[in-house]
Amino acid sequence: MSEAVAMQGIVKRYPGVLANDHVDLTVEAGEIRAIVGENGAGKSTLMKILYGLELPDEGTIRIQGQQVRIRNARDAIAHGVGMVHQHFKLVPSFTVAQNVVLGLEPHNGIVLDQAGTRAQVAQISERYGLKVDPDRRIMDASVGEQQRAEILRALYRKADVLILDEPTAVLTDSETDELFAILKRLAQAGLTILFISHKLREVLAVSDNTTVMRAGKVMGTVRTASTSARELAEMMVGRSTLEDRARQRAPHIGEPVLEVQDLSVHDSRGILAVRSASFQVREGEVLGVAGVEGNGQVELAEAITGLRPSASGRILLQGRDIRNQPVRTIRECGVAHIPADRNDMGVALDAQVWENLACTHYYERDYSGRMGLALDRIRSMAGERIAGFDVRTPSLTCPARNLSGGNLQKLVVARELGDQRARLVVASQPTRGIDVAGSEAIRGMLLDYAAQGAGVLLLSADLDEVLEVSDRVVVMYAGNVIDVGKVDASTREKVGHAMTGGAASAEVPEA
Amino acid sequence: MESTSTRTPQARWLEALRGPLLQVVNYVLILLLALAIGGVIIWLSGKDPLAAYRALFVGALGKPLAVANTLDRATVMILAGLAAVVAFSTSVNNLGIEGQLYMGAFAAAWVGFGVRGLPQFLHIALALAAAALAGALWSWLPIWLKLRWGVEEIVTTLMFNYIAMLFTAYLVAFPFASKNTVLPGTDEILASATFPRLVRGSALNAGFLVALALVVVVQWFLFRTKQGYELRMVGLNRRFATYSGMPVRRSALLGMLLSGALAGVGGGAIILGFFLRFVTGFSSGYGWDGIIISLLAKNSPLAVVPASIFYAALANGSLEMQAVTQVPSTLVGAIKGVIMFLVTARVFLDYFSKRWRT
Repeated sequence: MSEAVAMQGIVKRYPGVLANDHVDLTVEAGEIRAIVGENGAGKSTLMKILYGLELPDEGTIRIQGQQVRIRNARDAIAHGVGMVHQHFKLVPSFTVAQNVVLGLEPHNGIVLDQAGTRAQVAQISERYGLKVDPDRRIMDASVGEQQRAEILRALYRKADVLILDEPTAVLTDSETDELFAILKRLAQAGLTILFISHKLREVLAVSDNTTVMRAGKVMGTVRTASTSARELAEMMVGRSTLEDRARQRAPHIGEPVLEVQDLSVHDSRGILAVRSASFQVREGEVLGVAGVEGNGQVELAEAITGLRPSASGRILLQGRDIRNQPVRTIRECGVAHIPADRNDMGVALDAQVWENLACTHYYERDYSGRMGLALDRIRSMAGERIAGFDVRTPSLTCPARNLSGGNLQKLVVARELGDQRARLVVASQPTRGIDVAGSEAIRGMLLDYAAQGAGVLLLSADLDEVLEVSDRVVVMYAGNVIDVGKVDASTREKVGHAMTGGAASAEVPEA
Repeated sequence: MESTSTRTPQARWLEALRGPLLQVVNYVLILLLALAIGGVIIWLSGKDPLAAYRALFVGALGKPLAVANTLDRATVMILAGLAAVVAFSTSVNNLGIEGQLYMGAFAAAWVGFGVRGLPQFLHIALALAAAALAGALWSWLPIWLKLRWGVEEIVTTLMFNYIAMLFTAYLVAFPFASKNTVLPGTDEILASATFPRLVRGSALNAGFLVALALVVVVQWFLFRTKQGYELRMVGLNRRFATYSGMPVRRSALLGMLLSGALAGVGGGAIILGFFLRFVTGFSSGYGWDGIIISLLAKNSPLAVVPASIFYAALANGSLEMQAVTQVPSTLVGAIKGVIMFLVTARVFLDYFSKRWRT
């Protein structure tokens, strides 16, 4: 095999961050190379440099043995490098074929060659087994089909190095399988595939070799066949704490903190989304709420935290009914809320970091007088929270927008748990879209907080997370809360059964 | 990203300076480009752009008296700009500043000629308070309709402008018609309600100082008080504010009423300082200028001052330009339009923040 891409000594600096620190990467032709690492490890930056979207501060790039300068995407395409972005860049009202040729349309003089367009696209898609309907408009196409159109577009431009940025993030399981089959065919045809992922299972399923990045550096490249998810994860986070710590604790479970009785809640369309739900969360306990999304979890969390009126039932917090009370009252009673919609509810992205930390306390006597805010005290409180919860931010006064997803969520957690007042924590999808280390940290914070005697209600679509963190699990299905009981070896199966309404009992999927 | 502690003080200083510096460079470039485009228009119409711009500058800031007149004109613009800043910071779409100016102006005039026997300071304060109240009341109905029934305030406030203008026109045509004025207007306000002049030969008056004081007050209010913080958080992200337990509806109400009150004071200030009576059509669209000024100032109360002075300078300079070079003063409208376009399109800023980052 011959060398397809060689990046040597690549350095890329952003203000305050060394995104790529003398990175070397060599990929053979016909190879499928996975590049894994946490968010912010520098893998996207490296690929953007290869595709000309970012210019390296130092380093050289060779493609097919030739040293090249890639100043923009046009250069990259000229050297046979194509990229499929995570968020597709397609024109919705154009057909698949039109999108594929966009900018390089076959033409006779000034007239577009429609028939030629279709024929060429059909030919490429047939050659590599990329099933698409060239005449379907993008807006009518499935996500998988849109992605195939993106791949076709790169192939149409004669790419022999194909970069895919988190290609499976938007795909269903069967679409993912199909994508992997395509990638293997492309590699057999001699293309070089570079794909970024942080889903280790997928990396193991499809790649030949895996390069692990951490904090801007390459930690190593391993043959995928001779490694394991655990080894890769340890290389990514640099420690072997994964999955072990949670089960080591012996929770002291006490009195009920939250008692929900016959609670019914309507969704925004007026349809009953939570139906006579009853359950308890006790001191020191993490109650996991599993289930396919859209089965009433959002409405349940919003009803408990006061963001949505409920139709009937009782929500007792340490014996006091907080149903349909104002949000502030509920918070003052000791309910913390980590909302699923982090960017649009958990923080105000354009507000400064300290302003995001102050929003639940600013009105209290410690932090303000009759009118004026005690900015010094608020800022020192904010500084303590940031330090205590390891929120990485350039400053207290920069907009929250500048923080990465993981740090933004730590900011939310710091605000909600930092005052130690909450008796109940309602955490919705607390680690969605967050890298491995950040997710671990956030789960750890929730567990530590429960260990201090608070109850945690964890709503998560990630079953692994629910099973890892929870003491007891309930499943939401069609608005009903089904108790599955204490977490043990059979819980996964029971959850799978309840999640599907008990109908598909014979074919519980191993999640 | 790293924590603040690991950075050198110099690096932090540079970081802190870069924002404002970038803004200044951005606005200077926008101004130059707008002037260049205006210059091409002047040149195409067969006039000398340099002479026109010289006249524009002389008329705006060329002599101490011109400076004073520019500051006088900026007074009402500052207040209208503040009104817009408060409303837009709270995400309340108050397009009714013009109408609130009218109501405030009339209320100030009424107190100005109707109340007798007060010392000057008290009389002015009372007239301005009446103006603030009138402006706030005029903004109250639209926001009440919004909170009660979800009627879009962007439409109602706009319509309320016409009602205010026609209502005050009716008032001065009939119940309050003055016998000793040519234009429809009220009686002249008493001397005790008149803002003292600051510069001999110019209309610049103490109203300008009141406007500056209110800039400081609004800055303090928005960034240093509980209620101001609530207003801004509601404006930045309403769902976040609701989730935090903030009084979102009360904040919208407060933001609108404060905005209306500031607009009312603006109307009052121009009557007590310049016209000395209420006359119909006294405002040449100052409410709209205020909205544009708040955009130029990026919703910063402090930045409203330079933005208003700049706008006032263009307005005053354009008159001199027309008188000296026969270039119509409406050309300034075209320059303003180009500036607005460049500011809202963020032409230079995005370019620079990209280039300077690396």
